[in-house]
Amino acid sequence: MRGFHILMLLGGFALVGANGFLGREFFGSRKRTVLPPSVRQTPGAWRTFLHNNGFHGGK
Amino acid sequence: MASSCPSCGAPLTFRPGTMVAVCGACKTLSARTDRDPERIGVAADLVDTGSPVSLQATGVHAGRGFTVAGRVQMVHPLGGVWNEWYLAFEDGRWGWLAEAQGRFYLTFQHELANHAPPFEALRAGAVLNLGDQGQWVVAEASEGTFHGAEGELPWRPALGATYRFADLSGAHGAFATLDYGDAAPAFYLGREITLEELRLKNVREASPRVKVLGLNCPNCGAPLPLRAPDATLRVVCTSCGGMLDAEGGKLRYLKSLKQPSVRFFIELGAEGVLRTVPLTCIGRMQRSCKVEGVVYPWREYLLMDRKGGFKWLVESDGHWNLAEGVAAGDVDSGGVNQAALRMIERSAGPEAASRMREAMEAGGAHSPFVRFKGASYRRFQDVEARVDAVFGEFTWKVQQGEKSQVTEFVQAPHSLARETQFHPGSGQEVNWSLSTYLDPAEVATGFNLKEALPAPTGICPNMPNPHKRALAQMGTWTALALGVLLAVVMVLGFTHREKLVFSRTYNLVEELAALKAQRRAALVAPTAGTASGAPADPAPATEGEPVFFAGPIEIVESGKNIEVRVSSPVDNGWLGIEGALVSERTGEVEMFEAQSSYFHGVDDGESWSEGSRKDTVYLSSLPPGAYMLRIAPAWEGPVPPVKEFTVELRSGVMRWLYVWLAFFAITIPPLLKLFQSMGFEGRRWAESMYSGQGGSDSDSDSDSGGDD
Repeated sequence: MRGFHILMLLGGFALVGANGFLGREFFGSRKRTVLPPSVRQTPGAWRTFLHNNGFHGGK
Repeated sequence: MASSCPSCGAPLTFRPGTMVAVCGACKTLSARTDRDPERIGVAADLVDTGSPVSLQATGVHAGRGFTVAGRVQMVHPLGGVWNEWYLAFEDGRWGWLAEAQGRFYLTFQHELANHAPPFEALRAGAVLNLGDQGQWVVAEASEGTFHGAEGELPWRPALGATYRFADLSGAHGAFATLDYGDAAPAFYLGREITLEELRLKNVREASPRVKVLGLNCPNCGAPLPLRAPDATLRVVCTSCGGMLDAEGGKLRYLKSLKQPSVRFFIELGAEGVLRTVPLTCIGRMQRSCKVEGVVYPWREYLLMDRKGGFKWLVESDGHWNLAEGVAAGDVDSGGVNQAALRMIERSAGPEAASRMREAMEAGGAHSPFVRFKGASYRRFQDVEARVDAVFGEFTWKVQQGEKSQVTEFVQAPHSLARETQFHPGSGQEVNWSLSTYLDPAEVATGFNLKEALPAPTGICPNMPNPHKRALAQMGTWTALALGVLLAVVMVLGFTHREKLVFSRTYNLVEELAALKAQRRAALVAPTAGTASGAPADPAPATEGEPVFFAGPIEIVESGKNIEVRVSSPVDNGWLGIEGALVSERTGEVEMFEAQSSYFHGVDDGESWSEGSRKDTVYLSSLPPGAYMLRIAPAWEGPVPPVKEFTVELRSGVMRWLYVWLAFFAITIPPLLKLFQSMGFEGRRWAESMYSGQGGSDSDSDSDSGGDD
């Protein structure tokens, strides 16, 4: 129980600290990715990339 | 006044207040008269009780010197004798120093303002209100028989006469006696005292208490060492089971006992140390009670310390308790509450008040709680305890089958037991004992036991709650953590002033028309720019799939989350938004999805609704810089469900979700521990006769401990 208590304390403060001081979010419909170098080299190519690699994997 | 013995002519002295003098030569009792002493009779030889007090010893009490002038020995109905020493003070007063079981009680005669109740009305354990003389607990109401005397006595005994008395116990060691020898009871008031307090001089050489008297059983001849010859009244031979009377260090065979087989863990004569007190095991017995037809046995070990005091070590189902006697007057069972009685009399009449007075005067007999040294003890059970088997030495005339009424009050790790015993004739006494729970390992270590003690089973009434300490520790940490969380929330509240970084209402009718026109133009000139000024999409979306772009949006602060709010006036429909924040400089993309969805209706006369026209998504912080916003709305069917929708972006938004998560993370473990602790207490009190009631009288739940 003591280990569980310590884990919960650390977990609770880690969540509130990471969110409050680092701006991290852990829940919700969101995901982060990085454009491939080939896409970044072509101006505006990210639009098509996002069209094909959208939130649910493209259309 | 000097005189001479009427029998042998030896000199006698009568100091002021002396009623009877005992001749030191022929033990003749002579009463003081106006003329020559009157011969009463010859006193029996005194029993050597090993008392350190002796005639002519001197001492000081309350600044006044005294001399031990005389002594009377009385025989108790349960066997054994006790001494009453008479102290002649310099100012002519007399003090009574009673000595029993190694304890001393000094009392002085006082006038009794109120009439004492008749002896027949006294009940052991009952509360006795003596008006100006205070409130007392009747510890014992019994009788003593005159056995012998020496020196000078301030009263006139009759040889072989029986005298009725009541010992009263008050708070903080107060002690009193009602002497029913004369027509009007005499009242003696004082307290328990030590010989060190009396600064006694010329005392007898103190003989070591733990001395072994090597005797043999008069029945089987087996060695039968007496470890407490001064105090032992009964011995049961471990070889033949013979019960022996032991008075004055002599053994007399009484009868053979048919004893059940009992497993004891501590040998007779074993020496050990418990709670820093060296102890010797001199006797052991098994007692039992029967509750709802089930017999519950337990084992008791009589332990003697080096000063002649006694304790009990009690084992039941592997649980161990160390018990010692406490004064009945120190246990507060409520007493008679006059204000409550007046209120009851006004509201329910004199009969109800009378019944309540009887219950109050019965003391702990009906109390759901008693108090001892500031702690409240809750009533656990009432049983009739029966002695099943006895081995070794005992300081009273123990009998196999002997019964007593026991009430147990619990305040873990302690319990108070109120034991009422009825004497032959009309006498009765109540004894309170305080038990302290011991870990079996402490007993094993204390007595250096080689055999492993059985593991405890079940929950003992006064077993310490194993979760209580951990709960207290967790409570401290929890309070500390909540304090830190509060401080963190205050800091975050100060630093998180949400800032609107983007807000736009999209008119779907206009935007879609513009998009359509733009795409047609793009088909003609694929390199044309967009309405927002962003570079042209080299592979634009197909017709019917609307996508809007906005930006650049400046994200200034690092380490701050971003809130995306989407709202639309949908009605029985939904509008989905797939969006992304894109940094063309770093290539980082934060994608998200939100939905404005609201449905409602009426089913079977009941109106219902589900969903919300607003949706919020929180994004992790992004590195400061310029970001393009991509918004791709979606809906069901060919026509949009709404004309417009709004998208707002804010940075540095206070998130109470994480504060509450931290709050629950901090408080859940102690709550679980609290439930564990409450569960333990629930299981403990489920075994009680008074579980969930806190004090109903369930004497009928227990019955006899077995056949006689």
